[in-house]
Amino acid sequence: MTTVATKDRVGFGNVLAAEWTKAWTVRSTMWTPMVMMVLITGFAVFVGATRSLQPDDTILGGSLTGAVTAQIAASVFGVLVVSGEFGSGTIRATFAATPRRGAVLAAKAVVVAVVMFTTALIGSVVAYQIGTEMLTGEGYASGDAFPAVLGIAVCCAAVGLLGLALGAVLRHSAAAITTMIGVLLLPSLFGPLFGDLQRWVAGASPMAALEKLTQTSDASPDTVGSLGAWPSLSLVCVYSATALVLTAWLVRRRDT
Amino acid sequence: MIEAMDLTKSYGGRPAVDRLSFRVRPGAVTGFLGPNGAGKSTTMRLILGLDAPTGGRVMINGRPYGALPAPLREVGALLDAKAVHSGRSAYHHLLWLARSNGLARRRVDEVLERVGLASVARKRTRGFSLGMGQRLGLAAALLGDPGILILDEPVNGLDTEGIRWIRTLLKGLAAEGRTVLLSSHLMSEMELTADHLIVIGRGRLLADTTMRDFIDRNSRAVTLVRTPDTARLRTALEERGALVHPHEAGAWLVSGLTAATIGKIATEQRIELHELAPRTSSLEEVYTQMTEAAVEYRASGEGSVPRIRAETMS
Repeated sequence: MTTVATKDRVGFGNVLAAEWTKAWTVRSTMWTPMVMMVLITGFAVFVGATRSLQPDDTILGGSLTGAVTAQIAASVFGVLVVSGEFGSGTIRATFAATPRRGAVLAAKAVVVAVVMFTTALIGSVVAYQIGTEMLTGEGYASGDAFPAVLGIAVCCAAVGLLGLALGAVLRHSAAAITTMIGVLLLPSLFGPLFGDLQRWVAGASPMAALEKLTQTSDASPDTVGSLGAWPSLSLVCVYSATALVLTAWLVRRRDT
Repeated sequence: MIEAMDLTKSYGGRPAVDRLSFRVRPGAVTGFLGPNGAGKSTTMRLILGLDAPTGGRVMINGRPYGALPAPLREVGALLDAKAVHSGRSAYHHLLWLARSNGLARRRVDEVLERVGLASVARKRTRGFSLGMGQRLGLAAALLGDPGILILDEPVNGLDTEGIRWIRTLLKGLAAEGRTVLLSSHLMSEMELTADHLIVIGRGRLLADTTMRDFIDRNSRAVTLVRTPDTARLRTALEERGALVHPHEAGAWLVSGLTAATIGKIATEQRIELHELAPRTSSLEEVYTQMTEAAVEYRASGEGSVPRIRAETMS
């Protein structure tokens, strides 16, 4: 038989290249980061033009109003990277080509994390620039943009990974996206119902970490707790890491 | 070489594949036959490591599938032609597959050319017909130039020319020394393509033998006769214990007597014969007869409502 091999054993680099190719060759995953970019910068323009800030808001907080929607987009991206494969049955081709399912999940995680981190970072920096251009001299504090923008980017990447885990567990796009949006929005929506516990319920959510990082006036200790921005972000990263480990365990055991 | 040893897979306590042992050898097209729900697709998924066996094991060239260093270079599989993300082009579908196993990009163009999809390679597969989907699935199976091919119903949805093309392709691949495992519901096609047969029913092995041997062993001797004097011949033959059934265009099928005996009886009784031809059974006839006992989806009574078991996996 003729050989078409360029290398003997399939390594993680091959799996990563395959997952990267998949992500940019379907419209849904190709467009999500762009939508995310438009959301972050679009809100900055809107807030800058309408001056819709609280007096005690920072320019950073105002111009990153869209970060919350970007986070939702990130979770959708994470879901779509894997759920479409289960929906179409392509996952069988994937696991036949790469029987090491943990490696497949890890490669998808790298793609999601890198794309979401980069998109969110660029989006946040641009949004902050827009806000600074439009709001400087209006009497708002500017806020500490660095290293907050890095934290925002990490937070979006972590939420994307949470979406990836959920998509792989539920194996259904709509179900996973709905659940993911619930996970992101419900803690702050229903937080007030928990009374004194609100600080814990809402404060431990990915949304709270983002609000703290953007230093918006919404992030008061009464609603999101007194845990600092960086510990909150670490908590979100712990959620994602735990979810991914559990997902890897499940995906390796489950029939496809 | 694919080797299954006591391979078993149960879903909710009911075995879909039941202590199945067989070998699929190189250099031949091996037909994989069985009624719907007999466990063919499950067996194929077990071979590819997509489902984990409840018991036993299956090896590819002496190793479990999961231990192959570059699976696509050893095994090419077509399980479901529709299992492709419909928003991705044929080219990109093959491209990610190639990258996953470190195959050269030119292989993508080569296999697209080989299956006749080069002109639609950049189109999203959403608009593909079932036949085009099968060709894409075959391209994916051939991508790594593997020594083993596993194809589940590859001729589904293909036109006559396409079916003929697959037949030639598979026979050619086997002639090159590759192992080809093929399932199909088209018995006439299977009879033309396969050299060897593995037949299963209710997850169990019913036969593992050559095509010729399978047909010879399981055929009933049947002779086709044609005569202007039907009533007399029928009576004469039935008196000697034969079973006589009407066949198409005024001919009759006689079983239980050899052609020589029928000829002799006709001569003795001075009955004119227009045709006297021993018939070899087709694969379809032999297969139908053999698997009747193992059929799970049998039409029940006059209403012909399929009695489908609720727990059967699709």
